[in-house]
Amino acid sequence: MPEFNQLRRELLRSGIAPRHVRRTIDELQDHHEDLVEQELADGASRADALASAGDRLGQVSDIALAVKAQPELRSWAFRFPRIAALVYPITFVALLPAAPVFLGYAHASYIVRWAACLLLSAVVTAGMFLFLQLAITLS
Amino acid sequence: MAQSNPPFMSGVPELLLLRLLDQSEMYGYELVRSIRKATGEAISLGEGVIYPVLHGLERNGSLKSRRKAVAGRTRVYYSLTGKGRQRLEKLQSDWRRIQGGICNALEAPSHA
Repeated sequence: MPEFNQLRRELLRSGIAPRHVRRTIDELQDHHEDLVEQELADGASRADALASAGDRLGQVSDIALAVKAQPELRSWAFRFPRIAALVYPITFVALLPAAPVFLGYAHASYIVRWAACLLLSAVVTAGMFLFLQLAITLS
Repeated sequence: MAQSNPPFMSGVPELLLLRLLDQSEMYGYELVRSIRKATGEAISLGEGVIYPVLHGLERNGSLKSRRKAVAGRTRVYYSLTGKGRQRLEKLQSDWRRIQGGICNALEAPSHA
């Protein structure tokens, strides 16, 4: 079985965009599965099928080299490091004040439930005050 | 283990992939089988290396891909674009020129 995790780590370390890494690994795993199925259909044992499929797919180091040879698969921060060094801090500082809004949006369901509970308790309290007021007025 | 000769293989997978995808859309495993068949198994690649080539070609606009569910599995099918067809024509003409040159050199009488 090829070391897909090792390949994933190596590609990410060398600056390949995460979406390309994910896609490459997914397609390689599918391909490996097809090769194993083919070997099993040809009458090989499970162990032989796995070994043969791994050999046919190729060495992880060769695949990693082939991916690294495609510069267009690198993340833009690796292709344009100077621009990234400029854009990332500015974006971060600009987005920082908006962080509570994003966090609130991410936890919207909790906030809605909390607001509903608060509203309900306000209505109950107001009802109690009204009842007391009516009781005092009518007595 | 798949045997290959990297110095002589430069650009060959790209040419073969474009040529095969010019005929019909295919997914990776299907493409490798077609390369073996089309070349009479004369060209044997480490099969995993075709994916970076496919992704690079897609990124530069020569190929497009789409996901398709087949027999309970999702396959990524690749097909040629107009830009890919132009690239194929250029690569084919380059390849024929080089092939012609090498044939001439091999057939020419050797100078002692």
